[in-house]
Amino acid sequence: MKYTKIIKNILIWIVIIIATVWVFFPFYWAIITSFKMPTVILTKPSLIPFLDFQPTLRNWEQEFGNRWPEISKGLGNSLIIAVGAALIAVTLGTMVGYGLARFRFNRWKNKDMTMWFLSQRFLPPIVTVIPFFVLMKNIGLMDNQLALILANATFTMPFAVLTMRDVFRELPKELEESAYVDGASPLTAFVQIALPLAAPAIAAAAVICFAFSWNEFLFALILTYKNAQPITVVIAGVEHTQGIQFWFVATRLLLAILPPTLLALTAQRYIVRGLTLGAVKG
Amino acid sequence: MQAKSRYKYLFVVPGIIWVLAFTIFPLLYSLRLSFFNARLGKPETFAGLNNYIRAFGDYRAWDTFGQTLFFVSFSVFFTVSIGLGLALLFNRPMPGRQIFRSLFTMPMFVAPIALGYLGLTIFHEEVGAVNTVLRAMGMVNLPRWFSDVWTARMAVVLVDTWQWTPFCFLVLLAGLQSLPEEVYEAAFLDTSSSWDIFRYVTLPLLSPVLFTVTILRLVEAFKILDIPFSLTSGGPGAATQSYSFFIYLTGLRNFNTGYASALSYILLFVMLIISSFFFSRLRKNFEE
Amino acid sequence: MKRTTYILIAAFVILTTILSSCAPAAPVAPQVITQVVEKEVKVEVTKEVIKEVEKQVEVVVTPTVAPTEAAKEIEGFPAADENEAKTAKAAWDAADKGKPDPAWKGKKFTIGVYSAGQRGAISGPTYFFRKNFEQLTGASYDIVEIPFSEMREKIATDFDTGANQYDMIINCSNFYGDYINNDWVQPLDPFFEDARFPKWERDSISPQVAGLYTWGGKWYGSNYDHDAMIFYWRKDIMDDPKWKEAYKKETGEDMPATMATWEDAIKVSKFFNGKDWNGDGAADQGVTLHLKVGGQGFFHYMAFSAPYVVLPNPGDNPTKVTKYNNVYWFDPDTMEPLISSPGHVRALEKMIELSKTGSSAMWGWSLGEAWAQFLSGKAFMTFSWGDVASLAEDKTQSTIMGKWWASGLPGTNEPYSFEKKAFLKLDKPNMVAQQVGCSWHPVLSKKAKNPELAYYWMALMATPPINHWMVTYGWTGVNPGTTYDWFPPQGKAKIEDYTVSGWNENDAKANVQAYADNFFTYPIWQSYLRIPGTTEMQNMSLDTHVSEAITGQLSAQDALNRTAEDWKRVVDEYGKDKLLKLYQDSIGYTPGQ
Repeated sequence: MKYTKIIKNILIWIVIIIATVWVFFPFYWAIITSFKMPTVILTKPSLIPFLDFQPTLRNWEQEFGNRWPEISKGLGNSLIIAVGAALIAVTLGTMVGYGLARFRFNRWKNKDMTMWFLSQRFLPPIVTVIPFFVLMKNIGLMDNQLALILANATFTMPFAVLTMRDVFRELPKELEESAYVDGASPLTAFVQIALPLAAPAIAAAAVICFAFSWNEFLFALILTYKNAQPITVVIAGVEHTQGIQFWFVATRLLLAILPPTLLALTAQRYIVRGLTLGAVKG
Repeated sequence: MQAKSRYKYLFVVPGIIWVLAFTIFPLLYSLRLSFFNARLGKPETFAGLNNYIRAFGDYRAWDTFGQTLFFVSFSVFFTVSIGLGLALLFNRPMPGRQIFRSLFTMPMFVAPIALGYLGLTIFHEEVGAVNTVLRAMGMVNLPRWFSDVWTARMAVVLVDTWQWTPFCFLVLLAGLQSLPEEVYEAAFLDTSSSWDIFRYVTLPLLSPVLFTVTILRLVEAFKILDIPFSLTSGGPGAATQSYSFFIYLTGLRNFNTGYASALSYILLFVMLIISSFFFSRLRKNFEE
Repeated sequence: MKRTTYILIAAFVILTTILSSCAPAAPVAPQVITQVVEKEVKVEVTKEVIKEVEKQVEVVVTPTVAPTEAAKEIEGFPAADENEAKTAKAAWDAADKGKPDPAWKGKKFTIGVYSAGQRGAISGPTYFFRKNFEQLTGASYDIVEIPFSEMREKIATDFDTGANQYDMIINCSNFYGDYINNDWVQPLDPFFEDARFPKWERDSISPQVAGLYTWGGKWYGSNYDHDAMIFYWRKDIMDDPKWKEAYKKETGEDMPATMATWEDAIKVSKFFNGKDWNGDGAADQGVTLHLKVGGQGFFHYMAFSAPYVVLPNPGDNPTKVTKYNNVYWFDPDTMEPLISSPGHVRALEKMIELSKTGSSAMWGWSLGEAWAQFLSGKAFMTFSWGDVASLAEDKTQSTIMGKWWASGLPGTNEPYSFEKKAFLKLDKPNMVAQQVGCSWHPVLSKKAKNPELAYYWMALMATPPINHWMVTYGWTGVNPGTTYDWFPPQGKAKIEDYTVSGWNENDAKANVQAYADNFFTYPIWQSYLRIPGTTEMQNMSLDTHVSEAITGQLSAQDALNRTAEDWKRVVDEYGKDKLLKLYQDSIGYTPGQ
């Protein structure tokens, strides 16, 4: 009997190891590819540095050297866009979430309103891309980060709304009730009591909105062409007439993944709830 | 309480107006455009239902839609089932589980566009990681990843699966961990078969979470565009063109915006039908 | 926990803001890095590839001196080494400079070019000559790089929205349809007699390419790149008697002396495919091609199929365009697509046959992957642009320096005659030249704010000394295309022009010879499609359907039938009559002949 338990444990650990390798392999691959010479990437199967190939700093030197203006502008634009979109989405979304959690609406029921926000995620971006293109063209916001901020704020707001609604519903009403007794307005109760209590969840919602805006590609591609290109479009710029520059794919992938990941690591507690739009508690 | 009734609008109205403004106008504009023949550099001409009629007769529209259904079903199936399996595995006391949880969120934060380009080197038929490993394991007829229709489609599914399985894993793990202990204790009294417990206790209790995860994955998978764009450019031929990618090519490469709008609306319509199946169930989740 | 979260977030935001605001300061230093790169690479290669070095001892290679620290600007050029700067300076001095107008001092213009960086093909020269241009005229220019795959969309959007960011665009020749149709660019003829501008010899440009720089008799483009595909193969292997014998034994025939027809090329490629002819112990490939959808595979088809479809006009004027001769795309009277005609179908079938004599992976390869096979010595033949030739000189990528030869593309003995509605059987192969690719060259926007200044730059780059210099330095991405690039008797070039920049003598001759074949020797050429809708018909429809045929999803006939249907629809949407007229103008056809 004991044997089966040991074997079972070993098998479980083997599967866990395989799963971990599977999850991390592309990152490992991106790292070693960024240190490979371009020809090696296309002609030699090489999995282990120093054994299969000689690592080189060339790609990173170029990225931080003569490619840096392009890269930093892309990162900077992505930052502006993602932060801007997250700010708007979280501000408006938190307010809506609080309203839906604390108050009863009669004409348009709470659950209907919530469903409506949720249904925004069902809308494929491609449906709105052409009108956005035309709209931005006509109001002169082409190639401007603001256009992307507006678009991304719209698409990520449901995450904020639904997460915060769920979180606020869990907060006991007593604290706010006692504030009302003291004569505070709902606004004051919201700002001074509910918000601080819900702060970690707000951070998580912000991280999710940030990450989704950071990695957005379609709208970024269509609405920008020189000044406002975020990093996702810079990544797509590896497609050259002489082929795809895989070495830069690797470096740029790694550069681009840092901000969202770092932020996500700091907002662990509410990430699951945010990603499932409130349906599942972390 | 009466005083509050004015304030409640203050909270929800800004958000609602924002979303309305940025979705209603585009949707209406797109609808209007779908009834016109519109091309860059040419004045519009009214076309009535021609674009829609054309869409229904367009083999490319049907093919790409079918391909999208393929991607959606396989991707959802793989991500949810592998995610469930991993969640069950990790649902035990183990050192460093928090760390695993944190690190497993990383795939979701990779830009899909970058992942697709990287995938070209991973799935490269001669020197890519996958085939190198397969070759080392002794396989002779290595999959010709990008030159064969079905392997190219599988490559797209695999990349998407890799990116989103961790998401399913996290959510299902959270779901598992919120299941009440007492039920399990009672179940252990009746049977010691883990399969039975899984089937009759865990699965039913977990079904709301499973449902949520499947829906979310389904809805997101329908939109797939970045990965076919970068990994296969829709090839070979048009075998891995997703419907969204096809609309992009029609409207924003060929600048045939009228037809593209009609195609988009058909997609929207389909999404509405699909989601209406789940709406009532979802709506219940939001009961007060 | 809460506080640390906020601190982390704040720190991160500050850090990235600082990093991103560092960007604008960077521009000047960049060129430095490239040089260091080259040096590092050399060291690495000699370690691994000792054998190669020994073989190349007799080759004429002027050593490119790798400085120990970052290269400084030499003579105002961000040159990789002394030689490059010296030759560039010589070319600069020799070029006609006209008389720069003092009114231009302090003015600026914007160039739009595809994104390849400062030492990249086509965009590189814009950076390279900027400093000296500034010193010469007192004016300057901004360079805006646009991702290649989005170039047409971005430029069209720019013109269409009235943003008019670009004064001059180094564009792909097949954009002309949109440009002319929408009246976005201006003709250059008014500048030609003006003494302020450098004279560049329009007559020295190959007539095929000159055709791409003009429309309706007026010049819109200035001399820059001249694109065509040429045929590369491993001469050292093919000439080896051992392989000639093996060929005879295996097939019962003599190995063709030259691969003058595609049928010959297929036979030879089939023979070498799967055999280990490079001695590395692994099976090697016959042909390597970049047939991926979106990987410019359709250019392969266009170049390959030319001899099957395009026939000369009988008599004194073989290049005259008639209803049946020298046509490829559409019937010049009716605008019916010719793409599904028997000649095209036969060509596609043959190309599929050729693609089966190599790695099946090639059906999913784009340029880098396909070229790497030939450059690393694993594939016996390929056909593509001159980039392969210049990359063959890069020791970090190529093991084939000095081992290959090139020519214009093969023809066929059995082309299809539209007139006779049957395949012909010729004694001598039908050889047809082509200009597939973009032949990237500058055009001048109608709304340019400083058109004269911009044209000055265009003309300067177009002068024979500077353009020829670009041809001799492969990294610029400019292929040979003028009489200044060919060797005598066809032209005026000297072999030293090429070897001084590091070209292997054999390779330089091969490259130039092949382009001379294509641009000078071949009697007729394939017309280049430049009407509105070209991108949709060629890059999208033809590309996708050819890929479907190659990967077995459709038969060749079905694939081309679908292409024809797509083209008919596009033509109808743009207006058949309008497009017919534009097509006739662009190929030089007068109805009734």
